[in-house]
Amino acid sequence: MTLALLGATHRSVPLAIRERLAFTTDQAIEAIGRFRDCFPGRELVLLSTCNRVELYTAGEQESPPPTSEELLRFLAECRGINAGDLAGHLDCQVDQAVVRHLFGVASGLDSMVLGEPQILSQVKQAWAMARERDSTGPLTSEMFQSALRTAKRVASETAIGRERLSIPSVAVADFARGVFERFDDKRVLLLGAGKMAAETLRYLQDGGARHIVLLNRSLERATELASKLGGVAVEWSCLNEELAMADLVVSTTGASEPVVDATRYTAIESARGGRPLVVLDLAVPRDFDPAISSRPGVWLYSIEDLAAACEANRKKRQREIPAALAIVEEETSRFMAELHHRHTGPVIEQLRAGWNETGEAELERLFRKLPELDSAARLEIRKAFDRYAAKLLHPPLVSLRDESHAGPPHGLLDALKRLFNLED
Amino acid sequence: MGDFVAGISVVCFAASYAVALAFEASRLFFRSGVRGAALVGFAAAGLLAHTLFLLWRAINEPAVPLSSEFDWYLLAAWLLAMGSLWLTLANPKTPVGLFFLPIVLLLIGRAEVASRVPFPQSPATQAWGMIHGSFNLAASVAVAVGAVGGLMWLIQAGRLSRKTTPAQGFRMPSLEKLAALTGRSMVVAATTGAAGFLSGMVLNAINQQSGLLETVPWNDPVVLRMGLLVGWLILAAVIARVLAHRPQGPRVRAWLSLVSLLVLAGSMSWGLVGSSRHGRSPIATLTPTETSETSPATAEEDRP
Repeated sequence: MTLALLGATHRSVPLAIRERLAFTTDQAIEAIGRFRDCFPGRELVLLSTCNRVELYTAGEQESPPPTSEELLRFLAECRGINAGDLAGHLDCQVDQAVVRHLFGVASGLDSMVLGEPQILSQVKQAWAMARERDSTGPLTSEMFQSALRTAKRVASETAIGRERLSIPSVAVADFARGVFERFDDKRVLLLGAGKMAAETLRYLQDGGARHIVLLNRSLERATELASKLGGVAVEWSCLNEELAMADLVVSTTGASEPVVDATRYTAIESARGGRPLVVLDLAVPRDFDPAISSRPGVWLYSIEDLAAACEANRKKRQREIPAALAIVEEETSRFMAELHHRHTGPVIEQLRAGWNETGEAELERLFRKLPELDSAARLEIRKAFDRYAAKLLHPPLVSLRDESHAGPPHGLLDALKRLFNLED
Repeated sequence: MGDFVAGISVVCFAASYAVALAFEASRLFFRSGVRGAALVGFAAAGLLAHTLFLLWRAINEPAVPLSSEFDWYLLAAWLLAMGSLWLTLANPKTPVGLFFLPIVLLLIGRAEVASRVPFPQSPATQAWGMIHGSFNLAASVAVAVGAVGGLMWLIQAGRLSRKTTPAQGFRMPSLEKLAALTGRSMVVAATTGAAGFLSGMVLNAINQQSGLLETVPWNDPVVLRMGLLVGWLILAAVIARVLAHRPQGPRVRAWLSLVSLLVLAGSMSWGLVGSSRHGRSPIATLTPTETSETSPATAEEDRP
């Protein structure tokens, strides 16, 4: 066994236990230091997010990674929890399953929101912290590098993380951005003070929106929000004038009747000068009469429209799972083959050194018998010997590499050792 | 090197563009990490071969460089291919080539059936001939760009009206950007089209005065179809301008730009069947070599 994982994820462990297991940055640093003291020579990367706490450990043959019981005790001690309380809740995996799991985690396949990209930066941070504390080694380094490569492939070759899932992000990125190229020269009108409106506004501000006007039936509330979100508060009585000037409206009032009906809109339509108007009506019941959407130049999206778009995106992500899993499986196999191939290194080195030694001895004998050879001829003969040795060595190396795909090539290694009298 | 460049044929770059178009179309069906590079690679290879082909013709042409109908179509295709590649690099998520490359391929196809005999020119008319050809070229390219912008606008507006998120590999630019592109293209097309027509009139007047080359009568099919095209382009630009501050303005502009492309295509097709004195030498000045190089359509046109 060279790789081991002990973890608690949102899939199997209740939130109450995950909360007790979660590490702050300082606690994680302390835990890494404690691990190095408890298990010298072993590697550890500690990944702690709101949805998972995972210990990735590794060790070479001479100092294998800690057992699951040792890891469980270690984790319990670090968090001041009775180890017995954790038993049965945590997942323990070894070798190939660890690699597959990490690659899936980094790619967002194990996230609560499928394909969310934030986990990748959290994986990077966990690895960086372990590197800074010298708790990584060749195995975890290679494994995490491969995990990042896998995540990159999944992101570029599938659409699993591309479709947006939150209503504000879909409203801004897929609809408002479809109409407007830029927001910095647009006038944004915020009606009401809903939480979702504030989030939508943040997306718009990230996109460059600067001219923001807030309207609320309570001017005091509008002023308070304007100071918090950035913008100008205006009296509710100015609704028509503001509608005429606005390019984009985000509406979340708690009104039981539409705030803007078709008659009101028709009255201000001519004052708009033909400019397009995007309305993100996030209120329930709706603030804008649906009939307004038939007016030319009006792009009206209700919360139902946006929710349907989000659901469609969620389905698109689900459809990408098989392709993403195939990439994870392919990268896992590749990583494991390389890992297994590492075992063959010492044997190959011995074999090569033995052949080189024999070759050198033969060359010395040949050069003594043929002293008339000049340095150029000697160099050519030496090169020919090297090529001959390399060609002889090539087939067993290829066989070893091929065999590594199925696991450590112990049989072939034993055969080579016995055939060529190599030491263990 | 010379032999290599001389060996480049129309098929070489047309095939490269066709492969790039196939890569663009494949966006709609599946994702690929290497497609973007392959697509740009084939489009760039096609553009390079296209450029070398035109340069070779410009250097080896005995007359004024690139002054035949064949060269004119290839130049138009080259400009659009270059624009397509540039826009693809600037907007890697938008299938720009899917809209531009079919027009490029159609222009190359049209070039294949066009006359390769250079338009006859005297030293007195050479500059005006170049001005006339350049303005017409700019107008045609502007019409094509405007139509692509208009078509993209209609597709994007359709998607926004249906309230669906963008389809895989089919993310369009914003309506604002497309409307601006279409509007500018229509103005450029109308202006350069009118300038091309006027410079043609000047050219004809010089020919008439000097008596060196044949003049084109007002009722010549080329004059008529170009007049209609320019008239339409000006009318479309005026309508677009009038409706600029109406809510339905961008949609009308998009349709007008598409109709402009149809009018241009109709005008080009008309050129295949009608007989004209436009760009022809007086029959007495034609050498046997020139007549033998003329395409069947041109041979028909050359009859008095």
